[in-house]
Amino acid sequence: MSRLQGPNALKRKRPGATSDSLTEHERIVHDVIQGKQDMGISQRDMKREINLPDNLVTKCLKSLLAKNLIKEVKNIQNRGRKHFISAEFEPSNEITGGAWYVEGSLDTEYINVLKEQCWRKIYGLKVATLEGVTDAIKRSNVSQIELSKQQIEEIVKALVLDNEVMEVKSSGTGEFASIPVGKVCYKCIGKRGYGGEPKVGTMASIPCGVCPQISHCTPDGIISPKTCVYYKKWLDF
Amino acid sequence: MVTQHGIKYAVLLITTHFGDLVAKVCECLLRKGPLTLQAIVRFTELTSSQVKNSLLVLIQHNCVQAFILEQPGSHGDGAKLNSQYIALFNNIIHRWRFPKFLTIVSQKLDKQCVELIEALLLHGRLTLKQMSDRAKSAQNEGDDVILDAVREAFIKLLNAHFVERCPAAEPVLTKPTEEETSARKRVPKSAKILEGKETLEQRVLEAATPSEALRFLLVTRTEPAADGGKDENNSSSMTVGKKRKLDALESETEGEATDEQVVLWRANFEEFIRRLRHKAFIENVRACLDDGAVIVISAMLEATRTAEKKVKTENSVPLSLNSIYEEVIKSEEGRNITFDRVRASLVQLSCPPFVKAVNESYSIDFKKIIELAQNDEVESIVLKRYGRDAYRMFRLLSSTARLLETDKIADTAFVEKKDTTKILYKLWKDDYLHMEKLQLTGARQSQFLLWKVNKNTLWEHVLDEMFHAALNLSLRVAHELEQEKELLNLPQDKRVNRLRKVRLLLESSQMKLDDAIMLFHDF
Repeated sequence: MSRLQGPNALKRKRPGATSDSLTEHERIVHDVIQGKQDMGISQRDMKREINLPDNLVTKCLKSLLAKNLIKEVKNIQNRGRKHFISAEFEPSNEITGGAWYVEGSLDTEYINVLKEQCWRKIYGLKVATLEGVTDAIKRSNVSQIELSKQQIEEIVKALVLDNEVMEVKSSGTGEFASIPVGKVCYKCIGKRGYGGEPKVGTMASIPCGVCPQISHCTPDGIISPKTCVYYKKWLDF
Repeated sequence: MVTQHGIKYAVLLITTHFGDLVAKVCECLLRKGPLTLQAIVRFTELTSSQVKNSLLVLIQHNCVQAFILEQPGSHGDGAKLNSQYIALFNNIIHRWRFPKFLTIVSQKLDKQCVELIEALLLHGRLTLKQMSDRAKSAQNEGDDVILDAVREAFIKLLNAHFVERCPAAEPVLTKPTEEETSARKRVPKSAKILEGKETLEQRVLEAATPSEALRFLLVTRTEPAADGGKDENNSSSMTVGKKRKLDALESETEGEATDEQVVLWRANFEEFIRRLRHKAFIENVRACLDDGAVIVISAMLEATRTAEKKVKTENSVPLSLNSIYEEVIKSEEGRNITFDRVRASLVQLSCPPFVKAVNESYSIDFKKIIELAQNDEVESIVLKRYGRDAYRMFRLLSSTARLLETDKIADTAFVEKKDTTKILYKLWKDDYLHMEKLQLTGARQSQFLLWKVNKNTLWEHVLDEMFHAALNLSLRVAHELEQEKELLNLPQDKRVNRLRKVRLLLESSQMKLDDAIMLFHDF
C-alpha cells in the first residue's frame, strides 16, 4: 500500500517532467497504456494498436519501465503474456484476481490460514452469523489486512464447499435463541475436527468405486476383475 | 432404473442359483421386456419345454410374473389372449439380500420364525402344509406339537408382514384406460421413455397383488368353533375386494382342499426393504447427531411405520411432541430421556432438515435424508477420484443446480483458473458434469464454458457403476475360489487362511455396496 504514494506523487509532477524527457515514440506508447487506466494492456495487443515496428515498441517499453512511468503486472487470465499498466494506477481486480491473488497466482497458503481461523471461530461460537465471524476475526488480528464482510463470506462459503461447515437457517429456538428467525448462520459439521476427511462412501472404499478404467472393464476383457491390478493389491494378504 | 450392469449382475445371480439355461431365459426377458412363450423360444433358440421349465423355476422364485394383456380391438373375434412373461428385476436383485432379510427376522422374532422364513426364501413359494411337512421331516416330535409351533410362528411372521400371499398367477391387464393414456401424455418425453416399461411392470404387479385385506389373511378351517365366524367375515371382505384379483384367488381356493394345502405364501420383500430403509435412516442420523436424536428418530419410525403405504414414502405421518415422547419411553434406552431432551433432539434433527416441524407436529423428511445420503456417496467418489479441489467444485455445482461459468466456479471454490478448466474437463469426460458452450460474437473472449450437475443422469450413471462394482466383486469371489483349486503348491493352511480373508473382504464389501445400491435404487 505504501507504494501507492510514489506513483501518485509522480503523477502530479508528470506533465512537465515526463513530456520533456520522452521521445515521440515513447509518448505514443505511454499514452496508449495510460489510456487503458487500471486495466493496462498486453504487449501483444499494444503492437496491434500502435502502428510501429515491433522492436521499436519493445525498446520504448524498456525505457518507460526504466523511467518508472509504467510497470509490468501479472495478468491472471494469461500469466505468460507481458502486461503493462501506467505507473499511477493500481491494477484492477480483473487483472490481479483480487485480494486472494499474489503475483497472479492464488495465495493458497493465506487462504488456508484464514479458512482454518474462520472454522475455529465458528466452532467456538457453536452457531455463528457472518457478522459474528467477521467480528471475531477482526478482534483476533489474524490478518494484517482488514478483511471485509464480503471477503469473510467468500472464505466461509469455501468452508461450506469443503463440507467443514454447514449453512443453516436460524429457527430462533435452542442454540439459535440469540439469532433472528430465518437468518443464515453457520455451524461446524458434526463429529470431526478441522481438515478431517468426510465419511468415506461405500463406493469410494472399494477399488472399482474409484477405478479410472472402470468403463473399460468387462468380465472377460483385457481389463477384468480376474486380472485387475487394483484388486491384486487390495487382496494381498 | 434398470441399467446395463444391473442386468448383468442379475443374470450372474440367476446363473449361480439356477444354472445357465434358466439364466438365458431370464436375460432374454430382462433385455427385451415382456414376451410370450413363443417369442422367448424364438429369441433364445431353446426348446419349448426347456423355456417352460425355466419359466416355472423363475415364477416359483418370484423372479418372473405371468400376465395376460387384453389387446385393444380384439374384443369381437374371440380375443386371442396370450400369456406374457415379465422379469421382475427388483426381486432378482433382492436374492442377494436374503442374508439381510434373515438377520431382520432373527432380531425381531424367534428361531422357529427364522427357520420358516429361511424355507420360504429357499423355495420361493410354499403352502402352510408344505411348511409343516418340512418341519416334520426335520424333527421327531409329535405331529401336533410341530403343527402348532409352525402355525404359531407363521402367524407371527404374518402379523409382522414378513410373509404375504403370493400374487395371482396370471392377472388380466385390460388396455390402458382413457385416464391412463391422458395421464401419460402429460409426462415429458424423456420421462416417458424411462418410465414406459416400468409402468407396465407396475401395472402387472398391482393387478397381481391380492387386496390389502387378503394379502396378510390366514384362513384356518381346522378349528371349527372360532373360525366359522371368521370365515364368513373373510368371504364378505372378499366381495369388497377388487373383483379381478379375486377371480384368480377364488379359482385357487375352489374345491375341497383347504387353504393350508392350496394357498401359497412367500416372503414379503416389500416389508424387508422398508425395514432396511428405516435402518438406513437411523444410521444416517447416527453418523452426524448424538444418541438422543437416534432414539427419537427410531421412536418416530416405530410409531409411524404402519401408516406407510409404499416403500418409497416421502414423509412420515406427522406426530405431536407428546406422542413422540410416548413412543420414546417404550424402549429401554429411551426410558431415561426427559421430555425436554426430546424437544432438544427434535431441534437438532431439524438442521440438517431430517425432521420437519409444522404447527407443533413433527414428520420425518425421508426424501431429504435419502437425498443427502446420495449426495454424500457421490461426493465421496469425486473426492477420492479427482481430489479436494474437484470435490469443492462438484459440491458447488451440485448445490446450485444450474449452469455456472468456469471463472465463477474458480473464484467460489478457490481454485486456480487454469486448474479449474482441467478438473472440470476431467469430470465432464467421465460423465459427472454437463457442459454447455456459450459463443459470443464480437467480444474479445468469444467462448464461455458453462457447467452443471445433472442429477438424474448422473445418479443413474453412478448406480450403473455400483452394479458394475458389485458384479466385479462377485466375479472375483468366484475367481478366487476357482484359483484356490489350482494353487496346490502352497501349504494348505496358508491357502485356506488367505482365501478366508479374501472372501470376507469381498463379500462384506458386496453387502455394504448393496446398501448403497438400495439407497439409489430401492429407497
